[in-house]
Amino acid sequence: MNDETTASEQSVRTVHSDRRAAFIALAAWLVPGLGHALMKMWGRALACLLCVGALLLCGAGMRGNLFTWETPDPFSRLGFIADAGSGLFYWVARSVEVGGPDVSHSDGDYGTRLIAAAGVLNLLAALHAYEAARGRKA
Amino acid sequence: MTPLRLSHWQSLLLFAFLVSIALGVLSRRSPTEQVKYAARSLFWFLLIAIGIGWLMYPFSR
Repeated sequence: MNDETTASEQSVRTVHSDRRAAFIALAAWLVPGLGHALMKMWGRALACLLCVGALLLCGAGMRGNLFTWETPDPFSRLGFIADAGSGLFYWVARSVEVGGPDVSHSDGDYGTRLIAAAGVLNLLAALHAYEAARGRKA
Repeated sequence: MTPLRLSHWQSLLLFAFLVSIALGVLSRRSPTEQVKYAARSLFWFLLIAIGIGWLMYPFSR
């Protein structure tokens, strides 16, 4: 009986831990660094926030292409998936880039890469936060 | 927002620096290891980019 109770408590705890990890991953995706901040990993949280934020703002400042989903081109959709990895910062970048993209110069082309890199890095950080919340990484 | 104008070298340096920091912070535990990893990553980013640039140089003319 005692063993059954312990196993049941363990199972409930695992479900809670999984839900918490999923919540942390979602938070980490929405706001870069928030997932790590929720786990009190302040250094990593600050580094994620600054790196993703700087890449995205510089990319938008260089008038890089911020892709949208509404396009027939599958490669542009892949670009959107990379860009949307930045979470809410994607819309911040859209509001910053009021002049629209200009990839006729090298600046705009580099800016497009910076924006995509910011999204992919943030996805990596969200995955790291998820794993850390499950106790697999620290 | 005023458009940001960066040279090829400045763009490369900015990208490599920020990505190296993020990779170092996420992939290593201790601060010393993080700095070492970020520095090594930055070095390889720059070396490989410059190397590929020189490899493409004969085809640019």
